Amino acid sequence: MIQTTTVTPDDPADRLAGVVALRRLADRVEDAEVERALREGWTWSMVADALGVTRQAVHKKHAKRLAQAGTSGRGE
Amino acid sequence: MFERLEPDTRRAVIRAAYDEAQGLGSSTLEAEHLLLAVAADPGTAAGRLLVESGLDHDGLVAALDLETERSLAAVGVALSDFGLAGRPVATRRKAGFATSAKQSLARSVGLASGRGERTLSPVHLLVGILRGEIGTVPRALAAAGVDRVELIGRAELLLER
Repeated sequence: MIQTTTVTPDDPADRLAGVVALRRLADRVEDAEVERALREGWTWSMVADALGVTRQAVHKKHAKRLAQAGTSGRGE
Repeated sequence: MFERLEPDTRRAVIRAAYDEAQGLGSSTLEAEHLLLAVAADPGTAAGRLLVESGLDHDGLVAALDLETERSLAAVGVALSDFGLAGRPVATRRKAGFATSAKQSLARSVGLASGRGERTLSPVHLLVGILRGEIGTVPRALAAAGVDRVELIGRAELLLER
């Protein structure tokens, strides 16, 4: 049976592409959850601690985008 | 590598590819963003070929979405489990130039210099992108039902004109 467009999870190409897609998904989930936390009153420092990174790192990664979205967070 | 690009092509396509990456919320500029940039300009022969093949910009975005959905399914994950609204949010972060994009450019430059051509056209770029046999681009083309090898053949014919 030839199904060139159907996922065959036994194929390493599909599973490795799944890893790539998971990394992109993790970025998207991080964007959404950081925004949600700030909207709920979390400070950048709290978000940074929760993600296990420095406040500077999380601020650098998200501040511009969230400022555009109207979410600046406390502790600026 | 970039200096081998014709200045107009370099400015237009690379800048457009950065915009594509940022618009899709990607932290990296990948081969698929170069392809989106080529597809977004039907004023070029390469862009027209993509549109004629059913891969206009929006068609390509849809194919990439389908590729993501299938790849996540292969590792047992469904996008719908995450409650993410709609499309990825655009980022303001400048994307880093990823390996898949570097390799696409390297193949394009190799193609042009192998033919003794001093400048790199969008068609060279398209062929260089399409010649990647493994990764997101070939998977998205397959998801869209596009025959990648046949498309490369049609793109290579454009080089003869």
